[in-house]
Amino acid sequence: MKHTLKNIFQHGAIPASFVGDSIAKHSSKTGIGAHSIFLGQVRADDVDGKKVTAIEYTAYEDMALKKMHEIREEIFARYPITCMHVHHSLGKVQTGEICLFVFTSSPHRKAATEACNELVERIKEELPVWGKELFTDEGYRWKINH
Amino acid sequence: MKILVFGQLTDIFGDSFVRMRDIPDTDTMVKRLEENYPALKKMKYLIAIDKEIVRENTLLSESCEISLLPPFSGG
Repeated sequence: MKHTLKNIFQHGAIPASFVGDSIAKHSSKTGIGAHSIFLGQVRADDVDGKKVTAIEYTAYEDMALKKMHEIREEIFARYPITCMHVHHSLGKVQTGEICLFVFTSSPHRKAATEACNELVERIKEELPVWGKELFTDEGYRWKINH
Repeated sequence: MKILVFGQLTDIFGDSFVRMRDIPDTDTMVKRLEENYPALKKMKYLIAIDKEIVRENTLLSESCEISLLPPFSGG
């Protein structure tokens, strides 16, 4: 039986309305007492006088989804959380737009915040995703995570 | 054998993959790639076989999915 991994990628920016709808979907899960949300926004960095206008994301999707599945299992095993949602953009995302949405929920706040923080760190460190920072003048620089 | 390349490595290879013949293991692969693409010597990257990162010399077969992964910069 072929196991399908949960997809986390979507083309382009993550709309604010998508985040709002995701929160609303949890109103029926009344065991939840806390949500923690991380939103990554594309920053207009200035690099040697050149301004970043967008980031273009690419990924080794198969490997990223496999890795994300492992991370998901580990986080669920370590923290008493009710649910976890991860959405990452692919393709071009303009400055000021959202490129990463991480959402955890739990009965009490500590688990949700800690799980959310760890997820964000691990997504940035372990998922084979690359950002290309595009400048106004059509030049680019490969993004470096700090 | 098809080797997938990503991120800044696509600038060196000019494409998202590179093809090579008769490479028994990852050390030989790196040596041959560096001969053909000297710019690769200055690059930092990891090698993944079938979506798992390998850090030591690893035997390769035709069915392997090989990829070269520069430092990740998602999020």
